[in-house]
Amino acid sequence: MSFSLFSVALKNLKRKSFRTGILILSIGLLVSILVFGSSFILSVNVSIKRASERLGADLLVVPVGAADFAEEVLLETKAKTFYMDKSIIERVKNIEGIEKVTYQTYLTTIFGLCCDIPAAKVVAFNQDTDFIVKPWLKKAIGRKLKKNEAIAGYEAYENFDLLDVERSVLFNIEFDIVGVLEKTGTGLDNALLISDENMDEIISRSGVTVKPNQISLIFTKVKEGYDPYEVGRRVENEIIEVDVIARSDMGKNIISTLKDINNVFLITIILASLLSTFLAWTIFSAIVNERFREVGIMKAIGAKGSHIVTMFIIEVFVLGLLGSLVGIVLGTYMSLTLSKIFTLLRDVSATLTLLERVEIGLFGLLVGTGICVVGALSSIIRIKGLEPLTALKEV
Amino acid sequence: MSQIELYSVSKIYTLEDIEIRAVEEVSLKIEKGEFISIVGHSGSGKTTLLSIIGGILHPTSGTVLFEGTDIYSLNEDSLSEYRAEKIGYIFQFASLLPVLTAKENLLLPTIFSKDKRANSEKKAEEYLDMVGLKEKINAYPSQLSGGQQRRIAIARALMNDPEVILADEPTGDLDEETEAEVMDFLKRINRERGITFILVTHSSELAKDATRRIRMTQGKIIEM
Repeated sequence: MSFSLFSVALKNLKRKSFRTGILILSIGLLVSILVFGSSFILSVNVSIKRASERLGADLLVVPVGAADFAEEVLLETKAKTFYMDKSIIERVKNIEGIEKVTYQTYLTTIFGLCCDIPAAKVVAFNQDTDFIVKPWLKKAIGRKLKKNEAIAGYEAYENFDLLDVERSVLFNIEFDIVGVLEKTGTGLDNALLISDENMDEIISRSGVTVKPNQISLIFTKVKEGYDPYEVGRRVENEIIEVDVIARSDMGKNIISTLKDINNVFLITIILASLLSTFLAWTIFSAIVNERFREVGIMKAIGAKGSHIVTMFIIEVFVLGLLGSLVGIVLGTYMSLTLSKIFTLLRDVSATLTLLERVEIGLFGLLVGTGICVVGALSSIIRIKGLEPLTALKEV
Repeated sequence: MSQIELYSVSKIYTLEDIEIRAVEEVSLKIEKGEFISIVGHSGSGKTTLLSIIGGILHPTSGTVLFEGTDIYSLNEDSLSEYRAEKIGYIFQFASLLPVLTAKENLLLPTIFSKDKRANSEKKAEEYLDMVGLKEKINAYPSQLSGGQQRRIAIARALMNDPEVILADEPTGDLDEETEAEVMDFLKRINRERGITFILVTHSSELAKDATRRIRMTQGKIIEM
């Protein structure tokens, strides 16, 4: 590498390696909090958005007061049961603007009662009307489920130890596990899915709370040209036993609890940013003060103000860049490992794409480097304008 | 037109309402290729005058012309170019950057002057050889003696092929033998290359070697 201002800047940084290391570490910690926090918040938001989109329904019709439960079942890994009368399906179907409907019934196995599987979410769905599971089912086995057949959600397969298991007992009935669904990014990932043809036998042979002719939830598609909100209001007005959740409103409860977490992260990040800016300012003030004479010499032998600024900015950028990279690695590692200790993240099917992680990383890089620049700016401006002899004497 | 012309140049510092006249109403003309010594007691204004000529200290009043151009009417960048391309400065104190090797210290001025970058590496090696420090090419200032550092500073002042060299007590902390070597070297450069030398010293002995001697006291030239 030929000798340049960049070489001088790097040598300056190496001179005080401990101090350089402290600043890199401080920026790294800040960026790691930023990356971890952003990944956490984005994971939950993205997961909820993706899940609601992948469900493919415009409106969800649930028993009055069960909207939160429904979201927990569909967007998180939780197993909840709630029921309404099956006759509501026909009433929903007849409301203006509804194109098609299907329904699901949610059951929870009871650990120790019937089988080796711990308490698991079981989803019974109607295969004739279904448009929720169908695409995934088609990919997995290419046919409908028969009676006494079950298919495992992507994560249920591992979580319930179904590896190499061909048959399993659910509700005192033997089921063939015929396959595993691809990852859907919804609550279905943590469920065992069966056809609702099995419901009568399940009700008669086990102690489940669901009664004959009861279902948990109705998914609806709205006809083209109709406003889903308007149709949803109509459903709620005409059928008082139900609540309606529009697709775009799904996960609002989870997101509102996220706001508090968001704020905690935000305050932490602001405080950490201020602290890092102050640290960068202090360190760069010290750096500039101890290099007055050197800068004076450089100016006396021909350096322009822009050369001095460039040299310091290179130092600042290298510090910011290294600190940010440390932070990105640390923050990403934390978000991949530590995040599982957070119930909220454990319950949602949160996986960020590479692009989303890159975006978060770039954001961290921008903030980390920006803080270094802001912290160092006043010191750099101060030394840039000094007359060479004044700088030489300011020792 | 002389190479350097000073007209009524003054530099006044104000310290707690007290005016200190470091240089007062100095007028001077220096021809190209001259070897001038400026002598005087400590605080007589020698270094201040040298700094004003070198473009590193704005005078309070007066005009400094270099080849007819008023250097202090130039903008900051042009004044930096003047320092980079026309002037070679040898400071009275250790002036090498501690993080750079001997060779890198020599290359430093070339970073600031686009025109002087060509063959700068080779040139730096030649100059180090010329000042007898080729074997110290990768040594850091902390690994060099005061005399060796001074010789490298002299070599650095030559790197951009300046038209004028301003040397402020260039042999200040050297033993007699090295002092003689350095002075011989400076005179040789002056003779062979026609570079103008302005040497500030408190030593009348050194000043004798100059083609013209200027004596200063209390900021004024009293003998020329």
